[in-house]
Amino acid sequence: MSLFGTLSLATRSLATQRNGTEVAGHNLANVNTKGYSRQRVAIETSLAVAREMGPQGTGADAVGIYQLRDALVDRQIVNETGVRGAYESRQRALQFGQAALGQQIDRQASGAEGAAAASGVGSQHGIAEDISSLFNAMQSVSTTPTSVSERQVLAIKAQNLATKFNQVTERLGNLRTALNESLAGDVEQANIALEDIAKLNAQIIEAELGTGGKANDLRDARQQRIEDLATLVRIETTANTNGSVGIAIDGVPMVTGPIVNDTLEAYDAGGGQFLVRTLTGGTALNIASGSMQGTIDARDSDLVGLQADLDALAGTLISEVNAAHAAGFGLSGTTGANFFTGTDASDIAMNAALMDDPSLIQASGVAGAVGDNSVMVQMAQLADKKHAGLSGQTLLESYSQTVVALGQALNGTNAQLANQQIVESMLLRQRDSVSGVSLDEEMTDLIKFQRGFEASAKLITTIDEMLETVMNLKR
Amino acid sequence: MRVTANTFPNSLVNQLNTLSQRQNKLQEQAATGQLVKLPEDDPVAMRRVLDMQGEAKSVGQYERNIARHQELAVSSFNSIKSLKTISDKVRNVSISADGLKSDEELDIYAKEVSELIRTAVQAANAKNRGDYIFSGTASDQPPFVMTTDVNGNVTAVTYQGNATLAESEISSGVTLSAQSVGENTGGSGPRGLITDSRFGADFFNHMIAFQNNLLAHDTAAIAATDRVNLSQDEENFLYHLGTNSAVQSRLEAADAIAGNRTDTLEILVSNEVDADLAQTLVRLNQTQTAYQAALQSAGKILSSSLLDYLR
Repeated sequence: MSLFGTLSLATRSLATQRNGTEVAGHNLANVNTKGYSRQRVAIETSLAVAREMGPQGTGADAVGIYQLRDALVDRQIVNETGVRGAYESRQRALQFGQAALGQQIDRQASGAEGAAAASGVGSQHGIAEDISSLFNAMQSVSTTPTSVSERQVLAIKAQNLATKFNQVTERLGNLRTALNESLAGDVEQANIALEDIAKLNAQIIEAELGTGGKANDLRDARQQRIEDLATLVRIETTANTNGSVGIAIDGVPMVTGPIVNDTLEAYDAGGGQFLVRTLTGGTALNIASGSMQGTIDARDSDLVGLQADLDALAGTLISEVNAAHAAGFGLSGTTGANFFTGTDASDIAMNAALMDDPSLIQASGVAGAVGDNSVMVQMAQLADKKHAGLSGQTLLESYSQTVVALGQALNGTNAQLANQQIVESMLLRQRDSVSGVSLDEEMTDLIKFQRGFEASAKLITTIDEMLETVMNLKR
Repeated sequence: MRVTANTFPNSLVNQLNTLSQRQNKLQEQAATGQLVKLPEDDPVAMRRVLDMQGEAKSVGQYERNIARHQELAVSSFNSIKSLKTISDKVRNVSISADGLKSDEELDIYAKEVSELIRTAVQAANAKNRGDYIFSGTASDQPPFVMTTDVNGNVTAVTYQGNATLAESEISSGVTLSAQSVGENTGGSGPRGLITDSRFGADFFNHMIAFQNNLLAHDTAAIAATDRVNLSQDEENFLYHLGTNSAVQSRLEAADAIAGNRTDTLEILVSNEVDADLAQTLVRLNQTQTAYQAALQSAGKILSSSLLDYLR
């Protein structure tokens, strides 16, 4: 090899070391970039030149830049992210449901007539408190059947309970609307992600076409968007030879290469229950996981069940109390009036006429006997009656069961989400250990390439001196 | 395992987040003294506590019902005692009104009996919180109405009430009445205070008959009939006093049972819900220490890197 050949070797070496420095710098710059995978420059020895003494090396070249990624971990993260998304949205919906119900235990509560609170067992808040208060007020009327003031207290307690039923139902209705809106928002986000993935596919295909290398940063960005999408809905991915990734939802191809085949749509499947379908498909997709599924599950299972339980409870209360009350007689001998109006938790109300004039409350079982309390005793004893329509439970037991069912669902979701976060955290750490940028490593690489660069520069200086020596031979 | 630049910060964030959540939970438990507050905290305990608190509220109401019954029982007892006192006086007069007494003396006795009838009607028409005690369930009507002749002698006392008692609960499914009806001539049901055909009690009519016999100076009829009849009335009053006392004892016992049940429920609810403050505070202290240790150790690790040694 001539001196000029060696000079050329040194120049290429200089470029190679500079490439290494650039890649280390790129890694350092992206140390905090979400979804970034560290890159490495691939350096290979240049082709040897055949010489009489044998093949002679010609230095080294940077032949490519590759990223360190574990496809298996990536795939698992996509799956687990969807599961986490489902639990998170379900947890959020159930927490709203719990707040809507407003049921909690307060051991330090005390009230004007809160005998239970005063005696130390605490207060319940929520509908449970009002159910107890209603039947206690009935008991008070039964001990003083001619008292208008006790009847007034009963009317107020009944109205309080009815209002509480109405409020909880309204809150649950608002929550259903909010969940439908959240579902629509998720669908919009998913459509944006699908579009982004298709665009990134196009860029990757173009960037990688003919170069033989990989568009690492674009692939990172696409992987990030795939994971974003998986948080919303369960997806199936297919890697193609041109570098693109196909996305399908419930078997329906949504993205093929650079093309978005279809988009998602939230639609009213009847009764205000929004579901998800493809724009061209027409039928609801089985989206299996992701926040969309969590929202639908919570809305159509737990919260619908909660509302149905409350409606059954209010309906039983209305029919049973009214059946007893209608047969009674008021202080002035009136009879036949219902105690409650309405049919379920949404429209239950205290009979306005009784509210305006509590003397019309029909406590007596005998016309003209104002001191008779047999009807009111019968009404008060409904508190302890097991109702067939409430699975053989009392009104309060049935309500407790409703509360427990919601608490159980939320408690279970909390535990499942905690477990899922541990799994996902482990996978993320695993990926980080493969793909994450280490400052120490990059700084070491930087020094390594800097030294290599200095050595290559020294080689040029040496060749230059040698050339000068050669030139001076003529003098 | 390879540790990268973000391994420490990510782990630290997770650890601090977990420790913060624990601190928040423990602080809330220390502040409220409760382990369980919301359904999600412990659904099973929540169910038990809701049921127990519901029962406690019912028991509290039964205690109030018992207090109301006790009030009525005391009012009834006082009225019956007054009637018994009147009965004693009338009997004394009937014993004094023998054949040795002059007609004038018998007329004076008749006047006295007439006044005692008036007093007895007044006692039998006693009220509690605006309701007549001895009218049965027709409690808005005075039970007894008296009529007199031009001379002021009582000619009749009629009963306006009924023979039905209003019972209310003193515990689940157990009803009771602390009242008595003024009259029962139906042959069944609660025993009448003034009149009961089954036991020969008819206090007002017996007193009126006695008054009339005194006015008629018929000491033989007084000895043969009135003393016997008045004796039956006295027996009836004694029965009612005894029954009232028994009801009061029963109410006291029911009140004690309700009080005991409340105490038991308090313990049971406490076992389910209450936090052990000492244990909670120790755990809070441990968590705070761990939080500080995490911050301190992470601070040391994060503050040093290869950059510190490069020039």
